[in-house]
Amino acid sequence: MAVSRRSILQGLGGALALPAFDSTTRAAEPQSSGTRTDGSRPPLRFLVVGNPLGMHPPNFFPNDFGKNYTISKTLKPLEWAKDRFTIFSHTDHGMKSGHGRELSFLSGVLPETAHAFAEKNMSLDQIVAKHIGGDVRYPSIHASLQTGIRMVWNANGVELKPFTDPQKLFDHLFLNLTHKEKQIQRQVIERNGSILDAVGEQFAGVRTNAGAEDRARLDQFGTSIRELESRLRVRENWVGRDKPNYDISQHFEGEVTLINRYNAIFDMVAYAFQTDITRVATVAFPNELGYTDVNGVNRGYHACTHNGKDEQIVSELVAIETFQITQLSRFMKKLDEIHEPGGEGSMLDHTVILFGSGMGYGGTHSNRNLPILVAGGGFKHLGHVDTRNASGNNMPLCNLYVTLMQRFGIERDRFNLSTGAFDLNHA
Amino acid sequence: MRSTTKKVALAFATIIAFPTYNNVFAADEPAANHAILRQHCAKCHTGEDPEGDFHLDMLGSGVSEETREFWQASMDYVSLGDMPPSDDSDVTDDERLEIANYIRNILLAQVHPANQTHRNPTRRLNNREFANSICDALEIEDPGTHFPLGNLLGDTLHDGFDTNGDALGISEYHIEQYIESIRKIIDATVLSGERTPTERYQVDVDSLKMTSLNQNTQRRDLTLRNADSVDFKDPRLRIYFDNLQAVPATGYYRIKIRATGIDRGYYDAEETGIYDGDPIRLAVHFGDRVRTYDLPDNETREIILNEWLAKGTRIELSYPTDGLRQRGNGNFKFQQAIAHDHIKQHDPELYQEVLTEVIPKSKYRKNLPNHWSHWVNYWRGPRPRVYGAEIEGPIYQSWPPKRQVDLLGHSPSVANTETILKPIAERAWRRDVREGELDPFVRLVKIRQQELGDVEAIKEGIVAVFASPSFLMINPEEGSAADRFASKLTYFFASTLPSKRVRSSIAAGMLDDYDAVREVVKGYFESGKGDEFLDEFPQAWLQLDRINFMAPDPDHYPHYHRKSVSDDMIAEAKQFFRHAIETNMPVPEMLTANYSFLNADLAKVYGVDDAPDDSVLRKYIFNDNRRGGLLGMGSFLTLTADSLGTSPIHRAVYVLENFMGITPAPPPGDIEIQEPDVRQAKTIKEILNAHIAQETCASCHRSIDPYGYAFENFDPQGGWRDEYVAMVVPELGEAKVKGKKKNRAKPKGLPIDASAQFRNGKSYQDIVGFRKLMQTKANQEQFVRCFIEKLLTYANGTEPEDAGQVEKILAKSAEDDYRIVDTIAAVIDSPLFREP
Repeated sequence: MAVSRRSILQGLGGALALPAFDSTTRAAEPQSSGTRTDGSRPPLRFLVVGNPLGMHPPNFFPNDFGKNYTISKTLKPLEWAKDRFTIFSHTDHGMKSGHGRELSFLSGVLPETAHAFAEKNMSLDQIVAKHIGGDVRYPSIHASLQTGIRMVWNANGVELKPFTDPQKLFDHLFLNLTHKEKQIQRQVIERNGSILDAVGEQFAGVRTNAGAEDRARLDQFGTSIRELESRLRVRENWVGRDKPNYDISQHFEGEVTLINRYNAIFDMVAYAFQTDITRVATVAFPNELGYTDVNGVNRGYHACTHNGKDEQIVSELVAIETFQITQLSRFMKKLDEIHEPGGEGSMLDHTVILFGSGMGYGGTHSNRNLPILVAGGGFKHLGHVDTRNASGNNMPLCNLYVTLMQRFGIERDRFNLSTGAFDLNHA
Repeated sequence: MRSTTKKVALAFATIIAFPTYNNVFAADEPAANHAILRQHCAKCHTGEDPEGDFHLDMLGSGVSEETREFWQASMDYVSLGDMPPSDDSDVTDDERLEIANYIRNILLAQVHPANQTHRNPTRRLNNREFANSICDALEIEDPGTHFPLGNLLGDTLHDGFDTNGDALGISEYHIEQYIESIRKIIDATVLSGERTPTERYQVDVDSLKMTSLNQNTQRRDLTLRNADSVDFKDPRLRIYFDNLQAVPATGYYRIKIRATGIDRGYYDAEETGIYDGDPIRLAVHFGDRVRTYDLPDNETREIILNEWLAKGTRIELSYPTDGLRQRGNGNFKFQQAIAHDHIKQHDPELYQEVLTEVIPKSKYRKNLPNHWSHWVNYWRGPRPRVYGAEIEGPIYQSWPPKRQVDLLGHSPSVANTETILKPIAERAWRRDVREGELDPFVRLVKIRQQELGDVEAIKEGIVAVFASPSFLMINPEEGSAADRFASKLTYFFASTLPSKRVRSSIAAGMLDDYDAVREVVKGYFESGKGDEFLDEFPQAWLQLDRINFMAPDPDHYPHYHRKSVSDDMIAEAKQFFRHAIETNMPVPEMLTANYSFLNADLAKVYGVDDAPDDSVLRKYIFNDNRRGGLLGMGSFLTLTADSLGTSPIHRAVYVLENFMGITPAPPPGDIEIQEPDVRQAKTIKEILNAHIAQETCASCHRSIDPYGYAFENFDPQGGWRDEYVAMVVPELGEAKVKGKKKNRAKPKGLPIDASAQFRNGKSYQDIVGFRKLMQTKANQEQFVRCFIEKLLTYANGTEPEDAGQVEKILAKSAEDDYRIVDTIAAVIDSPLFREP
């Protein structure tokens, strides 16, 4: 089936009611390898969707607040789920203007100041993954096209790079190895383990001879060796077990476009959630990617943000941003049509989705008033919220992150720049 | 964090920037005793609310850990003439010079505080250094033709530099990917198992196949073939050999390819975008190893190669050209309509024939005879023609191959693991191996022997040697000063490890003084061993990676995109830098020289009409006092511009950061920055002037903006303009409609005001006056100082902090008229580089 790009976009725009494909998706039962065996509560999952350039504010933020706000132009594709998400106005990390600071999106901390924070600039998704990711095959997965947006940082303050090729993401998540390949992989894991043993031993001698100023980076090396060792052990446990089967080939029939590649990524994330291969995922829309597959877009993403208020270029920017929201909407719809395996409600109710950017709006290089949206997760959503306090100051975005961490059962009331938590109840 | 401390230098804008303010304030003997500073600076820089949040007391009584950056910033500002400003005081230039010298002397006097060290922290090798180092340690030509580095995580740049220690993170992912890469490289160097017999592959015309560069698309055979040959009618395609799609075993292959160039100049160069002076070229790809050849016209050239190829390597041929994208939206296919135009004009008979016989039979576009699709078979653009190839391999002069014997000896056995590993480890680790240090590796090899056999087990040991921090990190331990210096030196010039010879000559004290260092610096450049520096340093310093972060708008600047002009601009900057080294140019001349290096593509952008019609970069002298040197380069002017407009502020910040050594603080986050509005009939200067009326903005922008206005006569791609041309953006979708005449009324241009006044009262009318001002002694010195700091940043992975030592280098450089090779030698001879 060769679907023209236009018909995909229209189909996802929310105007058409999709047939309930519950039965077909349910047919793919979760694999035993990743599911709970003890009948405990269904897992809560976390998806972050981000971009590096913010959102065109007049088109993103609705004009009025409260639950009965009027949906904005960019958010139109999400209108069907109006009571399933909250838009947060006036939050930020207090960053100065300019590019490069958006990479503090998920922590409020820049790499150059990370040393002043106990958790460095470790991103929210990694903190959540550390807490809930241990029992599944992959603690977290990260996807983008072409290049990442430097959104995900580990506990060492090192950036984790996403998969930028859907095929490789597919292989990672769903490709089952032959018996022989598994054997080879086991052998490689074992051999690498021995290499790490030898290197670790020699490393100790190097460290003894190191100067004071070298210690910090050498310790990073030492930690990395140990972390890789434990990762190899975990991997060894999973090598023998099969991954769930999945087919994404329908996205690659006919012309391969940006749109069907993102469709494939989001579908894989949804299925990985459903089969409990992972519980934490991030997807990014990078600046460097060409968005000309999207209807109405002729220019580069970055160039569109510096539109000089020219209406044509603004409309191209809004088209790119609407495309991102459309992808989000499509994903949410997909989750909402799947009954939570072994739980109440749909999978959307058991998946916290954070959409946003560490940049407010590229056109002004502003990093204030970040576009932030939280969906699903069983929250009692509030529509469009003005988070400013009585004196009119913006809310630290980290306050919301504290709330999200608590939702995942992480017992803490502080995170980097937070001054409290945001009140968002859940069912 | 070392690398960011100087960020606060310019603006002193926010409280956050001054965590040490109170401490400094409490210094018992504040700057009161610096009478000269008190006299000229106290009016604004004392009291409750000092200008720019800078209080004289922050200088303390002298240079210390806490106050050094304020002393350095003060010197920068006074040297530049920015402080004390003329509008607030009647200070003369002589007095400014006196103040600057006063501050410089204080900085110089503080060169060696007792407990001070110049040691920079160790850092991870970047990917370039990793590749070069492992090859040199294994004594192989490159990592291999099987993309063994493809899995490595990309390096993060910091202000353009890929040597920054903070940006070069280490994680378990990195280590795992390194191990995988190392293993792949060693697998293609040390061969275990049986010798693969040599075979011959005759690739005749039927075995030449073409494939799309985009490997994702599975398409029909795209080959356009003649009876005896295959032509590159479409430059996006590659030729591969159907009967040898991937080489069967690692070893040497002897490859003969017969090819010629045809139809060069058959069409007008204006139409094809390929200059008549450029030869047709053919590139041969072995993985990411590429060899490129000029093809003679209509005369077969036999290309003979002898290459070590890794098992699985694909051999492919391509047609490198930056042309053939002139029509339509730049897609090659539209180019083929040139055949229509040409035939219509020159061959009416054939034209009628196609019109009456061919087009009526086609499925599409029957009513559009000039549509490209009808003319594909008549295309005669310049192109390579390939007749065939012959491949023989794998060939081994001996078995096991020589490179393996050199590494492991003739009959390697686990029993002599230590003997085998030791020389490899000493090369890889850039130092002597300690007693017993190889024990864990020897044990590892023994453990693996049973399962893998001797050679494969020893390979595991070699993998571990390269996975060690002693290889992956530069100078991770105290070691000997000579070894540390040897590594610094070779990583600086060649991004690789030092040879045994370099290590021992340094250990013997042969590089202990400036004159010896200078000879070595010259030697690196004259022998070509410093080529990596000549490429990578200007790339990092001038932040050439940013050139297309915001490329000029494709509708208004099609030439820039159709001819990949950004590549030419990068090449121009690098060629200019190479020229500076080759002629040992005084550093300040780089900034304002009246010449640069142009080819025909750049000449078009620069408005030069007497450059030869080809792609070769040649020295060109500008007589208009507007262009030449770093200040006139398209790379700088483009990478600082938006796509439709230019920003004097971006350009000013670039000049300050990269040429003047000052990093202005970014605007505070709570400031509402007005979004540029192209629809309003205002010039950028009028908008910015409104902006500067706000005092919060003005305190910094009065210092910043004069460094940018001068460039307003240069448009977003760096071309000259006499007035602003209002940017009209075509309606939705119009840009994609090929060939449609863009019927815009030419909008009335607004006048350009490229004048400005510096805070020292000096002013300029336009770029000509600005360039003149940049040639004052003070500005020249500031530029050299900045250049020295950039060299140290590249070498050390962090910005230098000891301003006194930088001044010493500057003084040394001044002795030789700031000549660049001498300046580099002075940097290398400095304790900031030697790290004693």
